[in-house]
Amino acid sequence: MRTLPSRVVITGAAAALSLSLASCGGGSGGGASDAAPAAAAPSASAAVQDALTKPAELTFWTWVTGIEKTVARFEAKYPNIKVNVVNAGQSADQYTKLQTAIKAGSGAPDVAQVEYFALPQFALSKQVVNLADYGAGALKDKFAASAWAQVAINGGVYGIPQDTGPMAMFYRKDIFDKLKIEPPKTWAEFVEAAKKVKADNPDNFLTTVDPGDAGGVDSMIWQAGGTPFKTSGESNVSVSLATDPGVKQWVSTWSTLLGEKLVDPQPGWTDEWWKGMGSGKYAVWLTGAWAPNGIVNSIPKTRGKWAVAPMPQYDAAQPMNAENGGSSVAVIPQSKNIPAAVAFAEWLNSDPEAVKSLNEEAGLFPATKALLDDPAFRDAPLDFFGGQKINQVLSDASAAVRPGWQYLPFQVYANSVFKDTVGQAIDGGGDLNAALKAWQDRITAFGTEQGFTLSSGG
Amino acid sequence: MTAPAVPAPRSGLARPFLRLRVAGYAFFLPFLVAFLVTVVAPLAYAIYLSFFQDRMIGGTVFSGLANYARAIGDALFGAGLLRVALFLVVQVPIMLLIALGCALAIDSGRLRWPSLFRITIFMPYAVPAVVAALMWGYMYGDEFGLVGQIGDALGVALPDLLSRSWMLASIGNMVTWEFVGYNMIILYAALRAVPEELYEAAEMDGAGAIRIAWSIKLPALRPALLVATVFSIIGSFQLFNEPNILQTLAPAVITTSYTPNMYAYNLAFNGQQINYSAAVAVVLGLVTVVVAYAVQLLTARREKTL
Repeated sequence: MRTLPSRVVITGAAAALSLSLASCGGGSGGGASDAAPAAAAPSASAAVQDALTKPAELTFWTWVTGIEKTVARFEAKYPNIKVNVVNAGQSADQYTKLQTAIKAGSGAPDVAQVEYFALPQFALSKQVVNLADYGAGALKDKFAASAWAQVAINGGVYGIPQDTGPMAMFYRKDIFDKLKIEPPKTWAEFVEAAKKVKADNPDNFLTTVDPGDAGGVDSMIWQAGGTPFKTSGESNVSVSLATDPGVKQWVSTWSTLLGEKLVDPQPGWTDEWWKGMGSGKYAVWLTGAWAPNGIVNSIPKTRGKWAVAPMPQYDAAQPMNAENGGSSVAVIPQSKNIPAAVAFAEWLNSDPEAVKSLNEEAGLFPATKALLDDPAFRDAPLDFFGGQKINQVLSDASAAVRPGWQYLPFQVYANSVFKDTVGQAIDGGGDLNAALKAWQDRITAFGTEQGFTLSSGG
Repeated sequence: MTAPAVPAPRSGLARPFLRLRVAGYAFFLPFLVAFLVTVVAPLAYAIYLSFFQDRMIGGTVFSGLANYARAIGDALFGAGLLRVALFLVVQVPIMLLIALGCALAIDSGRLRWPSLFRITIFMPYAVPAVVAALMWGYMYGDEFGLVGQIGDALGVALPDLLSRSWMLASIGNMVTWEFVGYNMIILYAALRAVPEELYEAAEMDGAGAIRIAWSIKLPALRPALLVATVFSIIGSFQLFNEPNILQTLAPAVITTSYTPNMYAYNLAFNGQQINYSAAVAVVLGLVTVVVAYAVQLLTARREKTL
């Protein structure tokens, strides 16, 4: 930060600030002073810039492996600020600790990774800072629309998008070639492909579906055009898992796949599952664009055997996609130095140097337009994927994400009881419609109890 | 100045007595503080919390006994209680019988390396429950785990030990493995307390090893067995680590309310229903106390009639 002239810091407008930050990150910050117009600056966002020059110590909770390298770049650039990276557990484990610390009034970090599905819950209960108050709204155009939509909640901005997971079909090209299967373009073709795999070897499956992974099914419903969860205002919630037409689309395909035992209801990420992925027992992984990192690290022996294709479609004429996973970085109100925390969160996720590092050194799939559209990123062939330029497929998958999806303001709870309801039907071959209704009932009972006004209409 | 010359008999008696009382309290104090801070205070706070309801919309309101009324009628809680009760009546006798057998075997003096035997049986207790659960979870895998590999080697399809019908037995196996050694030590310690003269007298009367075990060792073990039983009852009702770890391997089998403790945990941390969770925990505690006390009473009554 020493290289950034102080005039910019003090007088810059929010929009120009992010610009100057960007140019700062791009190389030398020497020319940045010219970029600052004399427009009226919201004092809060000026404070954010100012904070970068002052000594500060921040604690950052994240479970992204390798992010220390990106953080080290921040510290090298702004040596006054020290950032302690802490892995406080993954997803729900971390949220448990975070919420406990917030309730206790001390012990929470300044900055924390929060997945998109959990962010509305934190936002609603004011457990994360509304970054719009600190000028973060100006960053909107830097991010893919699908990413920004997931942090813009109730008119506020509650996190800075860090990575995204536009869905794609990762498949074993060697198996597809052997069985003469073309990558399915529609779900009908997907079912046919599943039958071929089964016919070849009854022990093998085209893919798996995890009875404990609510997020995976949420995304599949999103991709099928569903909007089963809607929130309006602060307390009106509608849950239509039993009636939503997109949910019905998903059910029609997956009850066939599950009913005819064409897919394996196997929990993901377990030893058994990775071994199945490596051995060729499973040929397809329908998941977010962050998957390559996991494949490369967990089953390195499958090098050269994988390829990526867009998601199968319900209506090939109107392709739609969804996000699966992905995180934002939020600021916790307990922080003693909110401006510095905001400045760090903004730099970490929007500075070109940072996002490049997040992608290359931490294996995250980008959320910024600049990187998604960067030819150097898009056109890089990946050896592991037999030289395929997979980022083209994945960047296009990001652009195809269907807008309008919403998570519940208590999605963490809703997802936790997925395995009690829909997971039962996935695992035991039960009726998906009845199971979705049971899930809806659990969600509705919880929401009502929490003081929300629940409706089941679409 | 004259006082030391003529020691008053009264004060001579009172002083040591007073000192004794002070010393007694001084010894008691560290425990008392720890007890109040780590047991009484959290318990009182949990009970206090259980009388409120905290909503995401609307904040905290006093709700009297509403959480308790709900807990008593809660089908998920009831199903979890029944599950751990079933676990209790099957797993605890098996575990204690094995522990008893091991303790008697060591005490018999006929083992070649009794301390090696003892330490080997006890070792699993030293393995953290989480590590044990991860390890067993891996071994139970029917495809690539140990069970699957044994099945492949033998050319038979072994049952999926992580499936609905086998899960409780699989958890029982893990818990038995973990706690046989612990209970064995309790029982073995009680056996060591039996005076040697009793054995000598029995031998002189012509009693064999089995007769000695039946007529001397087992009656002597009764109090220790009761302690082990009560601990095991509490442990069964508190079942949490093992199913919670195995949940990632079998999410549809181990639901969020699989055991009462898992239910309370998920209510508090996934649903932020801390108040209701506190009520569930208090009811669970009461049930445990009642069952443990009933077992104690029953044993005491039987002892009287014997």
